[in-house]
Amino acid sequence: MQFDIAFALSTVPSILSAIGMTLLVAAVSCVGASAVGFGLELIRRSGGPGGLFVRFLIDFIRATPVLVWLYCLYFILPFYGIRLGALATGMIGLSLYYSGYLAEVFKAGIDAIPKGQAEAARALGLGRMDMTVFVIAPQMLRNIAAPMGNYFVSILKATPYLAVLAVPEMLGRAFDIASDTYRYAEPLTVAGLIFLGLALLISLAIKRLEIRLLGPTAR
Amino acid sequence: MSILEIWLGILQGFRVTALVTLYGLVFAIPFGLVFGVAQYMTTGPARFVVTSVIEFWRSSAVIILLFVFYYALPLAGLALSAMTVSAMVLGLNIGGYASQAVRAGLQALDRGQKEAGQALGLSRSTILLRIELPQALVAMSPTFINQLIQLVKATSLVSLVTLSDMTFRAKEISQIEYDPVPIYSSLLLAYFIVCYPVALFGRWVERRINPVREARCAV
Repeated sequence: MQFDIAFALSTVPSILSAIGMTLLVAAVSCVGASAVGFGLELIRRSGGPGGLFVRFLIDFIRATPVLVWLYCLYFILPFYGIRLGALATGMIGLSLYYSGYLAEVFKAGIDAIPKGQAEAARALGLGRMDMTVFVIAPQMLRNIAAPMGNYFVSILKATPYLAVLAVPEMLGRAFDIASDTYRYAEPLTVAGLIFLGLALLISLAIKRLEIRLLGPTAR
Repeated sequence: MSILEIWLGILQGFRVTALVTLYGLVFAIPFGLVFGVAQYMTTGPARFVVTSVIEFWRSSAVIILLFVFYYALPLAGLALSAMTVSAMVLGLNIGGYASQAVRAGLQALDRGQKEAGQALGLSRSTILLRIELPQALVAMSPTFINQLIQLVKATSLVSLVTLSDMTFRAKEISQIEYDPVPIYSSLLLAYFIVCYPVALFGRWVERRINPVREARCAV
């Protein structure tokens, strides 16, 4: 059997038609991971038993594979009567998993803000909430645009894991074609190239954004 | 099935997990070193070629790369074992990330290091091997340790190409007996037990290299 380029090209439209699902999963997971990660980081900074627990949770997430987290949620939740379906389970899994990484990014971003900013906010009588939302968060986001963007790309590249749970994103579609035609190499290669293109495109956009935020000296 | 039997079952897969990690390093370390240095030393078209190779391995989704090489290499007449393909794909993927750490470490060195070597009449290769690389590699060692953890976690993917690692064993056990809660939580814990000591070691190394910490923002 040879690699059949004509057949590979014929699978492109079908695989591309699943790009919406891939982007949906990636977008929801990016938002979810950022929100959960920011929450985790705020709890961790506040100290106390909650902070200690979150510190351990983040370490635990970072020392375990995302694939195993997806299996865990997918098989354990229904055992307790929580049936969410593969798509929702997958998005929750990616959000939770990458929240551990984004919490570390937020930590670095907040640590880099000069102490005087928080003190000034307090001197002006801002409450904790106002200070976090209007003083800390905007400066933090400027500091961490690049690493945050890199994790968004990581999340995009983790969306094909959901094919394991039978979510019909691009890798899942490629496998559907493969099992119909008994030709695996071509549709998988096509899916791989589309993902590579997407990842490079988004990386480029992030580099542009970083230069705009930090000025032309940013590398 | 008792919890002890579950753990013994998962433990049977540890050998494959460790082997894939080890063989993966055989690919990752030379690739990271050679391509990191090459990206640092080359300019023009040569640098473009080096960067393209790195970006292919680094920016592709590793789960798809694994499937593509597993199914496509036999078509090219290369019948490699699942173990070799897995070690190569996971190793070169992590090696791509490592090459960026090598390059960044070299670029971050003070220019005076290289100039002092030149003033002493040392050859370019001596400067690289005896002055630049030792400093760059030590400075980036916490990053390399993090990447080792990423590699261990990525080995969970080999369960998808028929290798019986810890994840594969856990899935097998849960097919024999429907008891997902202890099986999958044991699996998570197993990876944590392997990876967490490495993470702690990485933090210790980082403290040794970088003892000065900035004052934290008071949020």
